[in-house]
Amino acid sequence: MTVPATLAAYLPSPRHAARVWRRELRVFAKVWKGALLPQFFDPLFYLLALGFGLGTYLTHVQGIPYKQFIASGLVASAVMWAASFESTWNAFFKMEEERLYDAILTTPVQVQDLVVGEVAWAATRALIYGTSFLGIVAAFGFVRSPWALAVPPFLALGGACFAMLGITFTSLSPRIELFSFYFTLFITPLFLFSGIFYPLERLPGWVTTLAWFTPLYHLVQITRPLVLGPDALPVLGNALWLAVLTATLYVVPVRAMRRRLVA
Amino acid sequence: MVDAATPVVTASGLVKRYGEIVAVRGIDFSVHTGECFGFLGPNGAGKTTTMKAIYGLAEMDEGELTVLGLDVRAQRREVNARIGVVPQEENLDRGLTVRENLSMHALFHGLQPDGRIDELLRAAVLDQRAGSRTQELSGGMKRRLLVARALVNDPELVVLDEPTTGLDPQARLAVWSVLERLKARGVTLIVTTHYMEEAERICDRLVIMDEGEIVARGSPAELRSRYEQETLEGVFLELTGHSLRE
Repeated sequence: MTVPATLAAYLPSPRHAARVWRRELRVFAKVWKGALLPQFFDPLFYLLALGFGLGTYLTHVQGIPYKQFIASGLVASAVMWAASFESTWNAFFKMEEERLYDAILTTPVQVQDLVVGEVAWAATRALIYGTSFLGIVAAFGFVRSPWALAVPPFLALGGACFAMLGITFTSLSPRIELFSFYFTLFITPLFLFSGIFYPLERLPGWVTTLAWFTPLYHLVQITRPLVLGPDALPVLGNALWLAVLTATLYVVPVRAMRRRLVA
Repeated sequence: MVDAATPVVTASGLVKRYGEIVAVRGIDFSVHTGECFGFLGPNGAGKTTTMKAIYGLAEMDEGELTVLGLDVRAQRREVNARIGVVPQEENLDRGLTVRENLSMHALFHGLQPDGRIDELLRAAVLDQRAGSRTQELSGGMKRRLLVARALVNDPELVVLDEPTTGLDPQARLAVWSVLERLKARGVTLIVTTHYMEEAERICDRLVIMDEGEIVARGSPAELRSRYEQETLEGVFLELTGHSLRE
């Protein structure tokens, strides 16, 4: 067992992390049209099915047209799904099947750079998917506030948070089968219970209390007011919540990944 | 560059435990500039663990290990910038082409891809396959690509863990000739193998490991004469009472 004794083992080098990010970008540029394009449509189908289907019967929620209500929330979940896939299935494949991380670690790139580079990449992919969907939302005419232009950096932050959660699970997960649990017991419930499809305010108090501890809730609390306006100030508190969770978790995957790869 | 008097690798008292199992039991060795140094022994002898400690995928529990005069714990980035690694298991990047595998590895080293990539592709006889996905390559081609990848940073030391295991005789000859060319250029080589004829042919000096210990050391000729054996296989049997390949 290796317990890194020095701070240096946790201090990433941005220069080295950027090399990992560039590898991911290169591969993404090759495969996105084939393998990853369908994921762009996921939130669109939810918007069509629920916004236009259910929205026909349920026209307003909290004084907001229902289509606009869920469209602004689905921007956040697009980020969650993209970052989570990238930091779980894809990262595990590279780590355990390809043994690609082993190859990278024989260069000057070290474990802490690898974790930061992968999280930065997953956040980038989440930003791409989230912003694309925001564009679709805008095309439908569901954007009501110029503050929507400020959304992308928060999507990157939310992406980083979900990527850090995903890579943490990946670094601790002994088998690929366990990712089904991650998605079924964590990601899907977040998707359904974070205020995307209905407001949580009228539900029992413990529901909102519980929701406060989940990252998607906070990301929805950012995207919705920015897209629909005009209540932009509480956004910063929610962003702080996401940033604190991301930073706090960081040591866990670095430590677990090092123990796993540098045995 | 390290001058000829400085050992490229020095190891003293290296110990590695995996739970109850002691994989490496206090070994000492030093590798000189420009030589091909061999680790010979059966599976489970501790060869791979020792290689991994040199290139950074294992940390020893006890002992001192320096590579190119640098401490492997404190100066891992600096060490890795100057060495090349050919792992036992193929770990090429399946998302990339043959050429991109080399240029991306150069990027990890912080180097811009340049004419050197073409040169390495030609030397590995992979220039016709530069645009192929790695999964389309034969076992011998993959191994040649792994060797080429290990050379993108023009390393002073190349560590090869069983570079010819599983290869057909022709592919093995191709790897040997690459190693001979590298040695002729003054690159230091560390090779593990469980093939006797390989050790005889390419190693200047070697150690024989068994159950985590070094049981003999010297040049192939010295070992044969010291133990009055005609082959290294005979030396190994004499020392351990069991066959090298198990």
